[in-house]
Amino acid sequence: MELREILEAFRAADPAKMKERYLAEGKKIVLTAPVYTPEEIVHSMGLVPMGVWGADTLLERSKRYFPAFICSIAQSIVELGMRGTYDGASAIVIPSLCDSLKVLGQNWKYAVPSIPFVPMTYPQNRANEAGRAFAKAGYLRVIRDLEAATGAKFSTDALANSLKVYNEHNAVMRRFAREAGKYAAVSAYDRSAVFKSAFFMLKEEHTALVKELLAALEGTEPASGPSVVTTGILADSPALLGKLDELGLRIAADDVAAESRQYRTDAPETGDPLDALAAKFAAMGDCSVLLDPSKHRAAMLVDTVRGTGASGLLLLLTKFCDPEEFDLVIIKKACAEAGIPFLSVELDRQMVNFGQAETMLEAFCERLD
Amino acid sequence: MEVRKGSSQDPNSAKYKLNQIAAKAYSDAQAAKERGEKVGWCASNFPVELPETLGIPVCYPENQAAGIAARGQGEKLCSIAEDEGYSNDICAYARISLAYAKIKDEPAQNMPMPDFMLCCNNICSCMTKWYENLSKELGIPLIMIDIPFNPDNEVSRDEIEYVKAQFLDAVRQLEEITGKKWSDERFREVMANSCRTSRAWLEATALAAARPSPFNGFDLLNHMAVMVTARGKPEAAEAMELLAKEYRENIENGESTFRAEEKYRIMFEGIACWPWLRVTSTGLKSRGINMVSTIYADAFGFIYDDFDGMIEAYCKVPNAINLETARDKRIRLCNAIGVDGLLVHTNRSCKLWSGFMPEMSRQIGEACDIPVVSFDGDQADPRNFSEAQYDTRVQGLTEIMESRKAGA
Repeated sequence: MELREILEAFRAADPAKMKERYLAEGKKIVLTAPVYTPEEIVHSMGLVPMGVWGADTLLERSKRYFPAFICSIAQSIVELGMRGTYDGASAIVIPSLCDSLKVLGQNWKYAVPSIPFVPMTYPQNRANEAGRAFAKAGYLRVIRDLEAATGAKFSTDALANSLKVYNEHNAVMRRFAREAGKYAAVSAYDRSAVFKSAFFMLKEEHTALVKELLAALEGTEPASGPSVVTTGILADSPALLGKLDELGLRIAADDVAAESRQYRTDAPETGDPLDALAAKFAAMGDCSVLLDPSKHRAAMLVDTVRGTGASGLLLLLTKFCDPEEFDLVIIKKACAEAGIPFLSVELDRQMVNFGQAETMLEAFCERLD
Repeated sequence: MEVRKGSSQDPNSAKYKLNQIAAKAYSDAQAAKERGEKVGWCASNFPVELPETLGIPVCYPENQAAGIAARGQGEKLCSIAEDEGYSNDICAYARISLAYAKIKDEPAQNMPMPDFMLCCNNICSCMTKWYENLSKELGIPLIMIDIPFNPDNEVSRDEIEYVKAQFLDAVRQLEEITGKKWSDERFREVMANSCRTSRAWLEATALAAARPSPFNGFDLLNHMAVMVTARGKPEAAEAMELLAKEYRENIENGESTFRAEEKYRIMFEGIACWPWLRVTSTGLKSRGINMVSTIYADAFGFIYDDFDGMIEAYCKVPNAINLETARDKRIRLCNAIGVDGLLVHTNRSCKLWSGFMPEMSRQIGEACDIPVVSFDGDQADPRNFSEAQYDTRVQGLTEIMESRKAGA
């Protein structure tokens, strides 16, 4: 395929169509909610994990379950569930790493009873023996629930294989994140589409397509103009991405939960695969929903901006996400101390008027020049 | 001036003693700080048995924030935090506490600055972020006990093992920071005190089953401060036992601290609106509504027999449990105490508590066959409450309860 066609393939990875395709192939689908949901387990059982991060849509039915001040990712997941968008899925795995996700799991049981809720409980004190053992117990619970919900069987050999598939995908996505900002052909919208499509495709297929993209990009026109590092939970708003492209603002690297954050650590490919998965989780960090008393994330972001030669840091704040709201203050201070231009833009999935954010981005861009 | 028996001015009354204990928690910590001892800031549902056994003075930011809010300074401190960049969507207790850490002086409720933080996230994940930020901003260690939200009805062995390892690690860290040593014998004393205080608290709150209730439910909001700050101390046990005794005497004498005719009895769901305590209380009392039940009764009833039992108790606090377990606790309370309605505070500060409340309160209403009405408010930011909306909603609840009584 030509570069243009490859980029189009990522944009065309529509979740509804992908769901129908996998179901038509006789596969069972398991929905995986944010964040750090153990997709590898789902994959190893021959099931198709499909990421659910909600959608930019009006909230109507979900209002029966949520007060207005819960993050719109959680609310819109329930909204779509109640509308039947996820019909055909065999289960949903929801971790409880923040208060909105805890609430999402509890409401899901009553709002969308046709799709069984599988909880994943992670430890915060994760990097010691007790923490790893607890994470493993959480994985075993997910396996039991998935076996009951889907009839599929778990085997450690299959998981060992899936860990390799996911590690390869991680490596390819890390490479893409480093390379994407260097080429004029990859718009902010395309960059987002590459990350987003990973939630809707089996990782083997996605890895192959990203590799093809990286090969096709070689030797193409280099990008120019200022670049930023993005950070936050979500960065898929078409209005935001369109504005970044219009301003010619490239993304040099990201620390976005729905993008690179999930690909930072690999599972060791030796020893018991479930222990390896727990070790992978234990090694994760620099994230607003994972315990970080020294707020290393702020230092990591300063280092990333400097290391990539980016001109500033753009924090995309998902409205009502208090983990990010707490980190914002520390990150802002760290940027001020390091002399790095910083902007936070509040976004939610019901945003109809993007005008204020556009003005802020324009002013930010002028500061970068 | 004559001092009414049982009033807050009567030095032999439970109310007086409980107020003294709550105030002493702050003055003791301040005195310890001045002596050069290391002082901690501690989450309300952290296992206080650990610092109490080690003899380490601690203060409670949640309790402080409630006090500051009740004394009318919530908005001022929230605004200071917002000026620092904290979103006004963040829990108002956290905003007040982060602001206090910056200004270090608020006459509405001062407390000594900490040398370390004791965090337990069994009540919410927000707690983790709040204490992380305090730890970073103040440059002091954070001791973190992670008790995850339990999606199941029972506490698993895996969870007990995970939490136990953290309890032991917390003790080790506290010994290192303060130089004090753990004593099993002292722990048994603290455990006995804590259980004794909890039993008396549960007994006192359960006496609301009498008709009329021997107390105004708003009393409990004050007394709760002792359950938060001093439940491991013998004087707290004694004062709570005295409180239960006074309530029993009220029943025998046909008296109550609810100074109105008790026409209706309700369960109140959620944290109090501290900045609007008088308004919310008067709105009920003027209609003859007594708040006879809250989940606070259970929230601080820590009863157990040994170290593992203590761990399990902390894994079962109200905000760490699934909808069904939380619902059933409330249904049991409603049925045991006998209520005519449920008033739900949709608390802007508390995403976890309010986030599945619409569904849970619907189920409670159906199971107990009582009307459910909610209002919007906030535990500490006065800007998130509308007196007019509260009044309208409470009036609506009253009318439903009235028509049901008339039809009964």
